[in-house]
Order: sequence, then C-alpha cells, then structure tokens
Amino acid sequence: MDHLVWAVGALMLGGVLCLLPARNGLRAGVGLASQLIATLLVWWSVIPVLMGAPDRILELPWGYPIGALHFRLDALGAFFLSWSLPMTLLGSVYAVGYLRRYFDSPRHMGVHFGLLNMISLSFILVYTGEHAVTFLLGWEIAALSAWLLVIWDYTNQRVRFAGFNYLVSTHVGLIFLVAAVMILYTHTQSWYLDDYGDWMRQNPGTVRNTVFLLLVTSFGLKSAFFPFHSWLPRAHAAAPAHVSALMSGVIHKAGLFALVHFLMISGKPDEWMGWFLIAFSITSAVVGGLYTVGQRDLKRLLGYSSTENVGIAGIGFGLGCLGQSWDHPTLVALGFGGGLLHVLNHAFFKCQLFYAAGCVYQIKHVVDMERLGGLFRLMPITAVCFIVGGVAISALPPFNGFVSEFMLYSGLFGSGISPIWATLALSLVAAALAFVGAVSALSMTRAFGVIFLGNARDTELPQGQEACGWMLAPMCLHAAGTALLGIAPTLGLAMVAAPTALLMHGLPGPQGPRILQELAGTLSRVGLFSAALVLAVLAVLWLRRRVLRPSAAASSTWGCGYGAPSARMQYTGTGFSTDFAAPFKGILLLLKRRKAPAGYFPSDSYVITDCVDAVERRLYAVIGHGDESAADISRKMHEDDPRLAFAAGLAGIVAIAALIVVSEGALP
Amino acid sequence: MTQPYATVLTITHAVLALLMPVLLVGVINRTKSWWAGRKGPRLLQSASDLRRLLRKRSLISTVASPLFHAGAYMVLVCSLVAVAMTPMLGRFAPLQFSHDFIVVAYTLGLARIALMVSAMDVGSSFEGMGAAREASFSSYAEPALFLLIGTASAATGMTSFADLIGHLHDTPHYLLIVAPFALALLILLQAEAARVPVDDPMTHLELTMIHEVMILDHSGPELAAMQYCAGVKITLYAGLIASLLNPMNPGSEPVAAILVSLGLMLLVALVVGCIESLVARLPMHWVPRYVLLAGAAALASMVALGLGASGL
Repeated sequence: MDHLVWAVGALMLGGVLCLLPARNGLRAGVGLASQLIATLLVWWSVIPVLMGAPDRILELPWGYPIGALHFRLDALGAFFLSWSLPMTLLGSVYAVGYLRRYFDSPRHMGVHFGLLNMISLSFILVYTGEHAVTFLLGWEIAALSAWLLVIWDYTNQRVRFAGFNYLVSTHVGLIFLVAAVMILYTHTQSWYLDDYGDWMRQNPGTVRNTVFLLLVTSFGLKSAFFPFHSWLPRAHAAAPAHVSALMSGVIHKAGLFALVHFLMISGKPDEWMGWFLIAFSITSAVVGGLYTVGQRDLKRLLGYSSTENVGIAGIGFGLGCLGQSWDHPTLVALGFGGGLLHVLNHAFFKCQLFYAAGCVYQIKHVVDMERLGGLFRLMPITAVCFIVGGVAISALPPFNGFVSEFMLYSGLFGSGISPIWATLALSLVAAALAFVGAVSALSMTRAFGVIFLGNARDTELPQGQEACGWMLAPMCLHAAGTALLGIAPTLGLAMVAAPTALLMHGLPGPQGPRILQELAGTLSRVGLFSAALVLAVLAVLWLRRRVLRPSAAASSTWGCGYGAPSARMQYTGTGFSTDFAAPFKGILLLLKRRKAPAGYFPSDSYVITDCVDAVERRLYAVIGHGDESAADISRKMHEDDPRLAFAAGLAGIVAIAALIVVSEGALP
Repeated sequence: MTQPYATVLTITHAVLALLMPVLLVGVINRTKSWWAGRKGPRLLQSASDLRRLLRKRSLISTVASPLFHAGAYMVLVCSLVAVAMTPMLGRFAPLQFSHDFIVVAYTLGLARIALMVSAMDVGSSFEGMGAAREASFSSYAEPALFLLIGTASAATGMTSFADLIGHLHDTPHYLLIVAPFALALLILLQAEAARVPVDDPMTHLELTMIHEVMILDHSGPELAAMQYCAGVKITLYAGLIASLLNPMNPGSEPVAAILVSLGLMLLVALVVGCIESLVARLPMHWVPRYVLLAGAAALASMVALGLGASGL
C-alpha cells in the first residue's frame, strides 16, 4: 500500500511540475515520466494482490468531520488499477504525437498533461477508497479532469457545448450517488463503505432496493448506459482522440467498477436485481449497437459502441447476480468473470479504434466517413489496427472480444438452471446478444470499408501518410494486447480470476478455484482454436502461392461495363445503413435536409442526412416543453403573491415532517 | 468424450464435408432442370467448374488492398472449420467441446466479415450494396440460430453442438418442437447460402444480387474458393437438418446413421431445388421479413418446449 501512496505523490508532483515555466516538450516529458513511475509503483502493489496475496489496508488519521481515511486494495480494485494506469500512460504517449504541432506554439501544454496525471490519480482514489468522501473525491476529480480534457479546443463553441453537456450529465449522476450515500449514512452513521455493506447484508429490503436503483442510475450515467448516454456521442466527437479513447475505454469503467463493488459488498442480491440488470444492459447493448449503424462521424460511431459494450459487460454482471441469488457458482464465475474480462477487452480494442480514428483525423482533418475513402494505401498500419479492433469489437475470433462473449454465452446457455422459463429467457438474451454482435459487425465493416477501402472520395482533403511513431506505438501495443488476449485467453482469465473468486465467496457447492480451473481449460481450447484458425489461413495462403499460378494480373473493378466510374460513385456509409436502419426509424432518427434541383439549369442542390440521438432530441423537447409550461403555470398563479409563497413553504414543511414521522425516526 | 467408431465417423464426416458441397449443388441444379423439363448439367458439374477456375489466373482490381488476397481463403478456412464442428451424422462432430456452437456461429461470422470486406475492397458500388444486404440480412438470421440453440440446450441440457442436436429426439417434447425447428433451419439455409427466395445464384443482374454481387471481382482460384464456400454452407445447414431428423445413433449403428444422414441431406437439397423451381424470389424489401420468419419459427419451437415442459 505504501507504493500506492508514493504513486499518488509521484502523480501529484508530476502534475505540479507540468505547470512550471519550461518548454512544452519538457512539461510533457515530466508528465510521462511521473505517470511511468506511478504505473510501476502501482504494479508493484497490485500484482501480488491479483496473484492471491491478502488485501492491503491503509488508514490515515484525518481531522473532523471526515475521520480516519481508509484505503483498501482488494482484488477487484487491483484488477482495475492494473490496466487503468498503463493505458492512461499510453494515452499520454499518444497525446504527445497528437498535439505535437502545438508544442512550439505559445499554448501551455502542461495543463493537459497535468490533467492526464489527475485522471490516473483519481483511479487510485476510486479503486482503493473505502471512505465515502475519498471515493466521491476521486469520482469528482475524474469528472472535472475529463471535462477539462474534452474542451481542449475550447475556442470552438460546439466543443464547449459538448463539454458542458458532459459536465451537467456527470453531475446529475453525482446527485444520485450522493443521495445513495446519504441514505446509507443515515442508517449506519458511518462514512465507510464496509459499514454500508455490513448494514445492507443484514437489512435486505426496501432501503437496499432504493440504494441499488439510485446507484445503477448514477453508474449508468457514468458508464453511458442507455438511456443515460446522450452526453456521450457529443463528448467523444468533440474531444481529442486520446481523450475520447481514455474516457471510453478507461475512465468510464469506474462506473462498472463501482457497480460490481457495490454488488460485492451488499451481500446476496435479490433475483429481481439480476433480471433488472440484464434487461437494463441488453437494452443498452441493442440500442447502442443500432446507433452505431447510423453514424457518419467515426468518433460518434465509436462513442455509441461504448454504450453497446458496457451493456454487454452489464449482462455479465446481471448474470452473476442471478448466479448469486440462485446459489449457482458456475453462473457467478461466467457472469462476473465474463463481464470483467469484457471490460478489460473493451479497454484494449476501444482505445485502439479511437487511436486509429485520431490518426485519420491527424492527416485528413475530418472523421466524416462520407468524405474519406481509400486510406488503406496511405496508412496501412492504422488500417490494420482498425480492422483488428473492428473484428474484436464484433466479438469474432481470433481476437479478445470473442473470449469474453464466449464466457457470457456459456453462462446464458448454462445448464442446471431450474425453472424452464428462466433458461428460455436467458436464451432470448443470448439471441439479442447475437443480434448485437451481427449489428456491430455490420457497422464495423461499414466504417472500415467506407473509410479505408476503395478510393478517396474527396480529393480536396489534404494528402498525407502514416502518423508519427508516438501515435502508432500506443495503437500497435493495444492491437497486440487485443490479439494476445484472443490467442491466449487464459492470461485474461488469470487477471479476472482473483476478483471473480472474491465474488464467488460464500457460495455453497464446489469451491471457486475448481470452477475457474475448468473454465481456464475451456478457454485455453478456445485460444487454441483461434490460433489454429490463424495458422490454417496462413497455410492456405502459402499453399495457394506455391501450388497455383502465382501471379495475378491487375485489372480495373467491374463496373457493369461502364467505362468511367468516379470515386463518388462508390457505395456510401449512408447507403450501407439505409436498408438496415429503415425498420428502426423510432431509434435511428434520420434528419434529411435537401434542396432539390430545379429548373433547366439547376445551380446548386444538396441533400444532407444526419442521424441524431433520439434520446437527446426528446430530452430537449421535453425540457423545452417543460420550460414553456412552467412559465405558463407561473403566469397563471401570480407567483409574486407572498401568500402563495408562504403556503408553499408551509406545505413543504408539513411534507418533510410527515416523511420523518412515517419513516419512524430513521433520519437522525 | 470418446465415441465408438470415432475414427470411421470422423473420416466419413470429413469426406462428406468436402464432397457434399459439390454434390448438393448438383442435386439442386438437377432438380431444377427436372422441373423445367431440361436434361440439366451433370451431377458433379460444379467440380469441373471449380477445377477449371483453379487452373485460371486471377485478375485483381488495382483498387484492392492487400487484404483482398486473403479474403477468399479466410472465408474458405472458416467455413470448413465450422462444418467440422457441426453435426452431420447425428450426435457426432469431429471437433467437439463444450459450447462449441458459439465458436461455430462466430467463425461463420468471421467468414462473413471477410467476405464483406473483400467486397468493399474494390470500391464498387454494386459490391458495397451486396455487402450491405448481406450484413443486414445476417443480423436477422443470427438471433434465429441462437434461439434454436437455446431451445435445444434447454431441452437436452447438453453443452456441445452435436449433442444438442443429436440428442433432441430422446427428449419428451421432440415431436412438439421438431417441425418449427426444421423450418427455421431451412430458412437459415436459404438465407445464409444465398438460395431462392432470398437470393438467386443464377441471376445476371447486379442490382438484384446479394452473394454473387459480392464476388464479382473475384476470379480464378479465389472465385473457386468463394463458390465452393457457398456449397459448404448448404452442406452445413443440410447436415444440421439431417442430424435433427436422423433417429439413428452413430455410436451404435454407424452405417445406418451415415446412410440415413446422407439420404436426408440429399432430400434437403431436393426440397431446396423444388422450392427454387416453384417459387419466385422475393422482392428485396420482403427478405428481412422472410428471414424473421426463421426467428419466429425458432421462437415457436421455444414456446412449444416451454409449454410442454411446464405441463400445459
């Protein structure tokens, strides 16, 4: 635990040093160095915990009213810390390449790198904090730093709006979190999460259910579950690529961590909680997946796919809850293990995809897929990284996404679930998950095909080539991780084994280690299969080269006999998704603005289609409507009449008093 | 799990998996020519076609990226691996482990993505259109397959694909679920292997194609691989239907099981051929509904099982 304290010190010192007057390059170097030191220190303490060492505990005396600060590093926190800090470090390395052209400008780069340090710091606070105040503090540091990172391009009004939208949403989430903490505080008179857990284990009932719902809302807002996702596409499209990558892949996983942590400490969940989580998550996965289909902006597309993937991880957690309430340890292992593994896998491939989008933006200055095309020839490394990420995010072998979804499917098709309707309901969830996989394959093929394959659609965009090594290295490292975790899934399982065992604690029947060992056996077979598949494809390619006539002649693409095809005649992203999107009009709102050609010599005509967020649109419609009707009511009621104000105050006091009486003195 | 006669069955499965793609396509075409009153091509005509293509040099569009060279062979390997894990002779598949059906479905998914990426790779609007259709129709087909698997898994309590399908007739509610189950598989066959009424392999108009338009720019050995894979998909689904209906246990009476399965697969090809002769292909906007029919049939078998198991 001392190493974690040193890591916090290193990050804070690094953050401060970034602000000193120096060259921008030096500031970035200080930021990276402090993050590297912190990462090594964090690994030093978390790896033993992941290998099975006992929890590390630290108590720091603090003044009234906070009391002593408690920190505890358990296997769950250790799992999240083990990849969060290194991935933030990689994101900062990418930032050096992405923002390099600002290094010689008068702009102060230290703030950006200092904020990245603060993100790492918040991970340590959130993932180890046992004290509600430090937990909330870490939560808030992450939110504010992420906001400030998003508005890097603050002179742009749209970026400021996206940032503000994010800031408001994340604080609405904080309100729910604080409400849950307040409820628990009134019952326990304590600031410690442990005490909350003890109390909830002893008093399952209405209060625990309320807290559960409040927390799911709060964590859902943090992790951008549907319908709490409306801030996400704007923020991801507005932020620099590495910030989008870190937000989507790493920072917002804090919501999922907090959810699992809550489930872990709050004792055996009720069955409805499992079903509720599954229903909530599958909705998120399906709707998030559908949204990815309609997007033109690559970064918005990737943002929506976060909603889809947190949903997939959430299905795992719901399954784990069902396993806990049914005393079914295999289901707990598959659910929580698969969910946690999916969180890790998503961090790997989502950062990689955002980095690829950043590389595209770096040379073309747009991420609108209808204007791009043929980038494979300009940037083959980025293209390969993107397709690797795309295959992984569609949960296809041989990459890591397949492994975690394999675990989830194994749970959903699990045996030994007693009522037949439960088995069939889980099969329905599996079918929905299959739909999500197919939809995500559709949107990734679409994005890859339109952006990287074919010919360039807009020749006015700047020509360019592969991005610099600072940007390629983090992306390739992520791609290597994606491939490695797919070919050797036991590595991933080893990382989630300790937290999963923690969640299986206290269940009857055969013990955790044996189940996890069997699971490792199955997964190693899956890994072998993936490796064999890759080898077989390579072998067939080699055979084709050796046995058959080797040289292929070059020709032009078949154009139905038309001799002068132009790049604008290629299939567009919108064209690709139109057929599929048609039945889902209610979710995929396609706004079309057009000016039809008129007259014998039409001068200008255009058609612009845009897929807007249905939730956000309705939200604003409701807010606008509510605003109007509130104004209307206030006009009718003569609000400035003091008698009315006194009456309202009296009614409020009576209501509060009634609440206190009804709740039999639960409030202090 | 070791099965008696495993070696014999493995060899038979492998031989069937490699030969049936040719034979089934031949049977379908022969059936169609019977209905049309023509003599029709030889039964093994597509083998000659494939051999001819293999000897040819391939032409590759200058627009294509290096991925294009690998696409056809990825589709080939994935399809063959999937067929090796799918039961064909009853409760047996050469490659069998717990929850292997997920691997089968997703390996086919990988084959599909390789096919679609190859299609998008040459920058043709027709092929992009084909890829879009393939992607959207398959996203309706995929849930149906998983619903079927879920039904079979709930009915048998087994975990591997071959056991799930092959043990279904030992379950008390087999007769309730078999008809919608087989119907769903037949529709999936038509959708995934690009047969009428979903797609017509004989059409010559690019705008109406799905599968054929995606391989327009493939030629020589690559085209051979793609065409063979379409046959492999027919074999895969025909094999599934055969194992669903095959009452023999390959572990105890291998010869009978093999013969029955072979007969059933040929019968499936015959049925597919008859449908192709008698039914026009659907307008493109009806195809999703037709594929959803597979999902509905699968759901019906699931509901039948649920009602049967809860004693109603």
